[in-house]
Amino acid sequence: MIGKLLEVSNLRTYFYTEAGVVKAVDGISIDVGKSETVGLVGESGSGKSVTAQSILRIVPPPGRIVEGSIKFQGADILQKSEGEMRMLRGSKISVIFQDPSSSLNPVYTVEKQLTDIITLHQHVNKREAIQKAESLLTRVGISESKKRLRAYPHELSGGMKQRVAIARALSCEPSLLLADEPTTSLDVTIQAQVLELLKELQAEYEMSMVMITHDMGIVADLTRRVTVAYAGKVMEVADTRNVFTDPKHPYTEALLKAVPSIRRTRALEVIPGNIPNLIEPPSGCVFHPRCKYAKEICSREVPALEEVNGGHYVACHLWRELRLEGRAN
Amino acid sequence: MRSNRRGANQWAVAWRRFRRNKSGIIGGAIVLFFITIAIVGPYLAPYPPRSYAPLYQGDAGQPPSLKHPFGVEESGIDVFSEVIDGTRNDLYVGLAASLLTTLIGIAIGAFAGYFEGIVSEVLLGLTQIFFVFPALLLILLFARVFSILVFKGLGLTLIVLILSFFGWSGISFIVRGETLRVKQMEFVQAARSLGAGSIRILFRHIVPNILSPIIVIATLGIAGFILTEVAVSFLGFGDANTPTWGLLLNEGFPYIRTEWWVSLFPGLAVVVCVLGFNLMGDGLSDALNPRLRE
Amino acid sequence: MIRRLLFMIPVFLGVAILTFLIGNAAGNPINLIRLGLRNPNPAVLDALRRYYHLDVPVYERFVFWLWDLMHGNLGVSISGRPVASQIWSWAWTTMELQIISLFLAIGIGIPIGIYSAKNQYSKADYVITSIAVFGFSMPTFWLGIILIIIFSYDLGWLPSSGATGISFVWWGNPALDQIAHLILPVAVLTYVGLATIVRLVRANMLDVLRQDYILAARASGLSDRRVTYRYALRNAISPIVTIIGLGFGASLAGAPATETTFSWPGLGYAFTQAASNLDIPLVQGITIVITIMVLVANLVTDIVYATLDPRVRID
Repeated sequence: MIGKLLEVSNLRTYFYTEAGVVKAVDGISIDVGKSETVGLVGESGSGKSVTAQSILRIVPPPGRIVEGSIKFQGADILQKSEGEMRMLRGSKISVIFQDPSSSLNPVYTVEKQLTDIITLHQHVNKREAIQKAESLLTRVGISESKKRLRAYPHELSGGMKQRVAIARALSCEPSLLLADEPTTSLDVTIQAQVLELLKELQAEYEMSMVMITHDMGIVADLTRRVTVAYAGKVMEVADTRNVFTDPKHPYTEALLKAVPSIRRTRALEVIPGNIPNLIEPPSGCVFHPRCKYAKEICSREVPALEEVNGGHYVACHLWRELRLEGRAN
Repeated sequence: MRSNRRGANQWAVAWRRFRRNKSGIIGGAIVLFFITIAIVGPYLAPYPPRSYAPLYQGDAGQPPSLKHPFGVEESGIDVFSEVIDGTRNDLYVGLAASLLTTLIGIAIGAFAGYFEGIVSEVLLGLTQIFFVFPALLLILLFARVFSILVFKGLGLTLIVLILSFFGWSGISFIVRGETLRVKQMEFVQAARSLGAGSIRILFRHIVPNILSPIIVIATLGIAGFILTEVAVSFLGFGDANTPTWGLLLNEGFPYIRTEWWVSLFPGLAVVVCVLGFNLMGDGLSDALNPRLRE
Repeated sequence: MIRRLLFMIPVFLGVAILTFLIGNAAGNPINLIRLGLRNPNPAVLDALRRYYHLDVPVYERFVFWLWDLMHGNLGVSISGRPVASQIWSWAWTTMELQIISLFLAIGIGIPIGIYSAKNQYSKADYVITSIAVFGFSMPTFWLGIILIIIFSYDLGWLPSSGATGISFVWWGNPALDQIAHLILPVAVLTYVGLATIVRLVRANMLDVLRQDYILAARASGLSDRRVTYRYALRNAISPIVTIIGLGFGASLAGAPATETTFSWPGLGYAFTQAASNLDIPLVQGITIVITIMVLVANLVTDIVYATLDPRVRID
C-alpha cells in the first residue's frame, strides 16, 4: 500500500460544556506509516487522549469533531457511517487505555470480555473463541491462561490487567494500535515488561502504533517519529532521533530536561506554571506564558508550522535564533 | 479549626457553588418562605387556630372565595388560616425530628465506626435492626397507645420523639461508613501520635470532616419527617388539637366528594414545602460533594 | 448466606419485643383493649386472657406468646374472629397491589432513567428530573386523593374504593372490574416508585457512562445498544437493586396510608382500623406479618445483589 496508513490533518475536537467551549484538540496533524511507531507527547491536558478518541470517533459528548480530516488506509474516516466505524473499531484499529482497573469491566470475566470482541468481528463459534482467547493470554505473557480466563479483573494484579487489555486490543490483529499511556499506572518494573511486550507484538503482527505518553524515555525507546503537542496544538514534529539531539521548540527542550538521567548532575528543571485554560487559551503562541525565551511577538501571533529540514517541523517564531539543548542519550 | 480569612475554606467554596446551583437556590427560597410563614403567619391569619368562627358566620362548607381563599371545612374551620398555623407545627416536627435523629445517628454511628470489637458490632447490629423495622406501623401503634395513656393527648413533642426513635438508623449507617473512611486518614494517626484521646479525636477531628454528607441527609430528612407526620395525622393518629397539614387532610377526607378544597390545599402546602427541602438538599449535595465534570 | 439468615432472627425478635411491650404498656393487653372498647364481649376477653397467659409473670408471657406466634396462633381479635385466618387474605390483597406497582415502576423507570442519563442536559432530561423530584415530594396518599377527586368523582371513570366491584361494576365483567379497581392505586404507587427509580438509575448511569471501560467497549466496536444495556446498565444496576429492595420494604410499611385512601382491603387498611380500635391481638399479628414480608424482601434483594456483582461474595 502506497502512502501512509493513518493521516490526520488539522484535527479540531471541541467540547461544548456549560462553562464554555473547551478546545481540547485544536489543529493536530499526525502521520503514521505501515509498521511504524509514532509518538504523541505532551503533558496531561494537551489533547493526546482526545486525539485517540477522535480517530476512533468515540469522543464522548459534549465533544465533537469540528474540523479536519482523518484518513485511514486511504479512506476518510469522518465520512464513514457509524456501522462502518464499528467494523473498524477493535478489528482494524484498537486502543489500550491508561488504567486497566477502569478500562476492564469489573462485572465480567476476562473470558467474556475477550470472547465478546472475538465473536463480534470474526466468524467463529464460542468454543473457538475461547481457544483463541486462551492463546492470546499466553501470547501476552500470562501463565495459566485457562485459569485466568475465568477470573474477574479485580482478582488480577495491575500488570496482568494491562496484559489482558492488550490481549483484548490485539484479539483481531489490528493494523493500528493506539496506546494511550499504557504504562503510566503500572509499577516501574512492570512498565519495562509491558513495553517489551508491545515491541514484540508490534513486530510480530506488523502493526503500526501511536504511542501516547508524557514520558520522553518511552518515546526514545519505542518510536521512530514523534509529535510534540501542547494545549491541543502541535509544537514540533520530527524523527525521534532529531527531536532528541536537536530540538527546535522550547517546550520540547523543557520536556527533555524534565527527564532525569544518571549522567546528569544538574538539578531537574521544572516547567513553571500550569497548563492553560482550554476555554480561553493564551493569545498568540499557546506556550508563551511558560516559555523562558518568549518575546513580544509570541503573545501576539500564532506561530505556523514551518519546515526546518526534511521531515522536521516546528511551530515557533524564534526557532531560527534559538540554540536549544538536546540530549545525547 | 480557624477559618481562612480569604474565604478559601471548604464552606466558603461550597457556599459559592451552592449559589450557582439553580435547584438549590429555588429550594432554599421555598424553605425560607415557609419559615417566614411559620414565624409571622399566625399573626396574619384571619382566624385563630382551630376556630369555628366561620360556622357562626354561616360560612361552613364554602368553596374558595375572596373571604376564604382556601375554602371552609364542613365544621366551620377556615382552611387558609389552618394551613398557615399548621406550617409552624409541621416545620417544628420536621426540624426537631431531623435534628434529634442526626444527633443520635452521629453518636451511635461514630462510635460504631471508630471503635473496634464488640461495642462496634453491637451498635451496628442495633442500627441494622432498627433500620428494618416497618417504621410507619410501629409509629402509628406507639402514637395510638401513648395518646390513650398520656393525659394531655399526644402533643407534637411526643410525636417528634416517636418519629426519632424509629428514624435514626439511616443516618447512623452513613455516619458509621464515613467514620470508617476518615479513620484511615493520616491526620487521625497524627492526632493519636500526639497523644489525643479517642473521644477528642472523634469529635474534634473526625466529625467535622464528615459533616458534608450529614448536612445533606439531615436536610433531606426534614422532608421525610414532614411526610411521615402528615401520614400519621392523616390516619388520625396525630394530635387532634394541634393544627397540622395532615390533620386537615384527615378532616377533609370524608368530604372529598363535595369539599375538595380541604384536601387540595393542605396537600399542596406539603408538596411545595417538602419539594423545597428536597431541592435544597440536592443543591447542598452538589455543592458539598462536587462531581468532577469534563 | 447463613449470616443473612441468622441476622433476620434478631430483627424479628426486636420487632416482637417492641410489639409485645407496647401491647403491655398499660400493664397487660386487656387493660389496653378495654381503654379503647366500650362494650367488650366477655367471651372474647376471656379467650384473650387465656391467650395472653395473664396468670404468669411478664417474661413467661412473652415466651408463650412467641411460641404461639411461631405456630401460627395469633389469637383472636376483639371482634371474635381469629386473627390468623383474616391475615392471609389481607396479605394477598396487599401484595397484589405492591407487586404490580413494583414491576411497573421498574419496567418503566429503568428505560426512562437510562434515556435521561444518555441525554443529559437536554430538555427531556430536565422535564423528567423535575417530574421525578415532584414524585417523591408528595405524600403518596394525597396523590391518591387528588386522583380520586378527578377520576372518580368529577369524571366518574374509575372506582374510588375497594378491590372488587360492589359499588362499581365495569361493563359487567368481573376481570375488567378488578383491573378497573386496580388502576388508581397502582398508578399512585407506581408514580412514586418511578420517581425514586428514575433518579437513581439516572445518577448511577451517569457515573458508569463516564468510566473508561465503557469507552473501551465502544472502542472495540460494540453497538451502542449493547454497550448501554449489557455493559453500562449491568454495572450500574447493583446499588439500584439494593435501594429498590429497601424501597419496597418501605412501601409495604407505608401501606396503611395508601390503602386507607382507597379503602383497599389489605393489611395496611386492616392495621389502621385495628390500631384505632386498640384491637391489640390484631395489631400485633399484622405487625409481625408485615415485618416478615419486609425481611423476605430484603433477603431476596441481597441475593439478587450478590448475583449481579461478583465483587460481593455470598458469605
